[in-house]
Amino acid sequence: MTAPVPPPTPVSPIAGAADFLVLEAISKGFPGVQALDGAGLGVRAGEIHGVVGENGAGKSTLIKVLAGIYRPDAGRILLDGAEIDAGSPDAVQAAGIRFIHQELNLVPHFTVAETIFLGQELSGPFGLRTGAMRRAAEAFLKDTLDTDIAGHRLIADLGIAERKLVQIARALIDGKARVVVFDEPTAPLSHTEIEHLFRAIDALARRGIAMIYVSHYLSEITRICHRVSVLRNGRNVGLVDPVGHDDADRLISLMVGRDIGDLYPKRNHAATTPWLTLTALSQPPHYADVDLEIRRGEIVGLAGLVGSGREELVDTITGLGRPTSGRIVVDGRPLRSGSTAAAADHGLAHVPRDRRNDGLVLAMNVADNINLASLEAVSTGGFVRRSAATTRAEQSAEALDIRPKTVTTAARLLSGGNQQKVVLARGLATGASLFVLDEPTIGVDVGAKAEIYALIEHLAAEGAAVLVSSSDPTELLGLCDRILVLVRGRIVAEVTPATTDLDRLVALTTGGEPAGGLAA
Amino acid sequence: MSAFIASLPTLGRQGLARHGFLAVVAVCFVGFAVANPSFVGGANLVNILSGAVIPLIVGLGMTLVVALGAIDLSVGIALDFGSAFAIVVLKDYGAAWYLAVLIGIAGGALIGLANAVLIVRLRISPFLATLGTFFIGGSLQRIFTHGGGPISYRRLPPEYYDIAVGEVFGIPIRILIAATLLIAYFLLLERSTFGKKIHSIGLQSRAARVAGLPVGRLVAIGFVLAGATAAVGGLVASANLRMFTPLAGNAYLMDAIAAVFIGASMHRDGRPNVLGTLTGVLFLSMVANGLNLMGLDFNLKDALSGLILVAALALSIIQHRRRT
Amino acid sequence: MSTTLAIGRPQLNSALASVVPLAIFLALLGYFGLRAPGFLEPATLILILKQAIPTAVLGLGLAIVVIAGGDDVVAGGIDLSVPSIAVLSAAIIADQLASHGSSAATAVALGFAAAIAAGAANALLVTRVGMTPLLATLATSTAYIGLSKVVTANRRIDLADPLIVTLRDGTVLGLPLGVVVATGLVAIAHIAVHRSRWGLRLQAVGGNRDAAEIAGLKVHRFLAQSFLIAGAFGGAASLFVLARGSGSTPGVAETLLMEMVLATFLGAAFSPRRVVTVWGAVLGAILVSALSIGFGSVGVDVFWTGCIKGGLILIVVAASALAKRNRT
Repeated sequence: MTAPVPPPTPVSPIAGAADFLVLEAISKGFPGVQALDGAGLGVRAGEIHGVVGENGAGKSTLIKVLAGIYRPDAGRILLDGAEIDAGSPDAVQAAGIRFIHQELNLVPHFTVAETIFLGQELSGPFGLRTGAMRRAAEAFLKDTLDTDIAGHRLIADLGIAERKLVQIARALIDGKARVVVFDEPTAPLSHTEIEHLFRAIDALARRGIAMIYVSHYLSEITRICHRVSVLRNGRNVGLVDPVGHDDADRLISLMVGRDIGDLYPKRNHAATTPWLTLTALSQPPHYADVDLEIRRGEIVGLAGLVGSGREELVDTITGLGRPTSGRIVVDGRPLRSGSTAAAADHGLAHVPRDRRNDGLVLAMNVADNINLASLEAVSTGGFVRRSAATTRAEQSAEALDIRPKTVTTAARLLSGGNQQKVVLARGLATGASLFVLDEPTIGVDVGAKAEIYALIEHLAAEGAAVLVSSSDPTELLGLCDRILVLVRGRIVAEVTPATTDLDRLVALTTGGEPAGGLAA
Repeated sequence: MSAFIASLPTLGRQGLARHGFLAVVAVCFVGFAVANPSFVGGANLVNILSGAVIPLIVGLGMTLVVALGAIDLSVGIALDFGSAFAIVVLKDYGAAWYLAVLIGIAGGALIGLANAVLIVRLRISPFLATLGTFFIGGSLQRIFTHGGGPISYRRLPPEYYDIAVGEVFGIPIRILIAATLLIAYFLLLERSTFGKKIHSIGLQSRAARVAGLPVGRLVAIGFVLAGATAAVGGLVASANLRMFTPLAGNAYLMDAIAAVFIGASMHRDGRPNVLGTLTGVLFLSMVANGLNLMGLDFNLKDALSGLILVAALALSIIQHRRRT
Repeated sequence: MSTTLAIGRPQLNSALASVVPLAIFLALLGYFGLRAPGFLEPATLILILKQAIPTAVLGLGLAIVVIAGGDDVVAGGIDLSVPSIAVLSAAIIADQLASHGSSAATAVALGFAAAIAAGAANALLVTRVGMTPLLATLATSTAYIGLSKVVTANRRIDLADPLIVTLRDGTVLGLPLGVVVATGLVAIAHIAVHRSRWGLRLQAVGGNRDAAEIAGLKVHRFLAQSFLIAGAFGGAASLFVLARGSGSTPGVAETLLMEMVLATFLGAAFSPRRVVTVWGAVLGAILVSALSIGFGSVGVDVFWTGCIKGGLILIVVAASALAKRNRT
């Protein structure tokens, strides 16, 4: 959730117009679950139509039905009044419906032009027309997305935002796009990069392209979308029309179906002895001269944009990276840098930002994951006592309300929120005294978010030192005792939630840059 | 009843896929038995077991390495080093048999250590690192033996010779050695905390690292153990022939890899596992023995065993894919 | 537009690491030039090129498989069976010419047919059966070697067929015929992979399989094609193997394997994008050949060359791994 900025009052040249794309009463069932139960969607030409819902509400199934990946059990899809063969990706593609997937899926050593033209290359008698493709790609990026990227640059050398724009250009290059579906497009982007992306999306809307925008970030939804459809349990539970910047609470209560009350737990912890101390920690060019102290029973936040050095700093503390100078001390003992095992020996538990790749061993079951970092506690003479291991995992799953309850379930089958609880349970099982949580609620739905916040509060109340690194300023303000702001690799401010509001925190993380809006 | 009959064709089609590997085993077994009835005799079954000893020993180390998510192309070199070190200290330095055993194992561990340094310290991918060790190790053997001639030593201490030919309570010592290693590896990989950590690294090494496991150290230990284990195979081989034959170990490389992957494809989750490797090794040993008994031309036998190996691997992998 | 800390990557280490392999080679070549005065003469240089041909042609096949499958040697694309395919094809051609009195055309056609069939078997195992390329081609290479032993009864077959002799000794405009033919093959491979629509798609399949699928490419078709083409290059290499050895010799597959892998990955270490390329494989093959001849010319024991080449593989890939680590 990024900053709430003055809303661009949705100028609606489209209000009252007929829907251009219609998904009508779509149902889709899988063994044991009815993912969609008569859900629908109507999108006008030139409209940005938001789709929100908790994980499992049916958003992604609906998108996959639209993409032709799933054939619906009932219902139909109409584009400009004509029915499309639902369940055929080729028909969907031919009809001009394009998808901007969350994953970038680009070839790192390809140039921008090669990437954009892949699959519809310009070719002449002497092979590929490299120069023509480069010029066409540059012109297309400029005209359609209002962006300047040189066509000969390698994807590997681009920033994430530029890659996202290239991904969009690739979907649109054939000029036949009439509907574009964005799936969580801003997840890896920084605040200003998001602004740039929004300008591009806005430019598309003005060209009359119908857009579907799926996101967990409600502040973006309320900001950029004209209308929003809310899904719950595979059904439509509301259409907010038009949507305004103060509709976030309304969307949440529609999504959850109840008042979730306060998302953040009551503070019930108190700081005691100093535990983690960083002294003049530097790793140029990522960050420099970072001093930081966290006490037991304290939750300290780390704010900063993507590229502010925040990720690298977290990686250094947790032993994934290595500083070029400076000291890390835990409980008075210096920590050997560059070793996650040494960090673990000092009682550090790391909850990484990339849960699926770094957090869990997906192919192992829940019990093995929970016990992985503290196998010695359930073993004798190097051999695992299997009943003890299972019992401990079950207790821990029970305490954290991990679902499903059977700890022999493979970790990859769990929802994002439950996977995150497993990672936390693994840290708890080691008896860690220092928790470093990196984007702890990324890709987690609202209900599970509240549970994870309660868990983090519980950790601090039990006397652990907690560092929360997050790109969500609301989360930091709701959870932390103090927040350190990292800009261009340096800590520029330390603030407390009591004396800081969201606008100020956002302004600090962007280095004092005023937050711009679409109108700007 | 009619439903049962209707399901027969699908059973037939899926049956081959589901039990494809077992079908190959059965066909080979019956074929060999028909071609030469002595194939099923008790004495020959012991031959099959004996023939499986060295491949099993090498395969166990390979199971560990593949469970780590890596591969070791230099196990044959480790085997050669085990054999060479032992024979040389026996012949040139008159070392006691147990000392020769220890030094031989250390020779194999040395190859594993070289791999460990290349992979863990220099971050070379295991395939390229062990390929490098494979070439360098082979070349060193040629240099040391001035072109690859064997080093034979007829007057082996009887204890050392017994590694290959001795018996305890009527059971060949070489089979006892293999069985002991089999049990040790089973406990290590399937029951110990070390094994759990190894599997987690093989499945997702980044996650294992974030969890605080000393991934580098565990990988290094894995490669050293694999090298040392292969060297035990070298001890058996050198005791059996009473000589060190340069580059003889490479003959076991392909069988070890094939056995591990046949075994892995029989596992529910497709993981390398000790009992699966045993099955794979016994199958390959049966094929080698059966082809021998058929009295085929040496070259034809080589080609046939290569083709059977490809077919067995393919079928066992199809079988695994159908099951999941 | 980027507010991110315009982070200059730590270029120094990366640059150093990419220079190391090249520097080692240049230093070695310079050393050979000083120690063995004849080394830099045209005759030696042509010999180097001639000796490089089989490796280069095999390297082309491997490069195409790696480009299509991605450069992760275990999960991605690799074909360790190309040298074995060449040996099998060479065995068939030699046997046909020497023992069956076949015409050169028939013999070559049969050898090629076997090579293509072998490539097809690899393609089938990888795309249909779902074996990892490493496992599949390691296994098939033992089978192909086994078959070649059956064909030749594991004996050396001397050839004096005009085709082979011409390929060995013939010249075009003063250049050896073999070098000219091989250059043609390189040009074809280069245009196909780096200058054509098909080639760009092939690269996309190897660079990011999901991206290729999203772009509507049939990934398995490209993978299968890459193994078929590798088989064809194995077949082409067989002629040069026969010409270089004046016949079919058992046991050359292992040396060819080492040289092919060394040349191809060496080429990747030199390429600006640090990926396997057609030109990289050729350059690598020439450098490897220069080293072999250079070591010979300064009188290094032939048994040591294997050792030195193995060490070079390790130095180069270690430097490349270091550079890659610093890039990301």
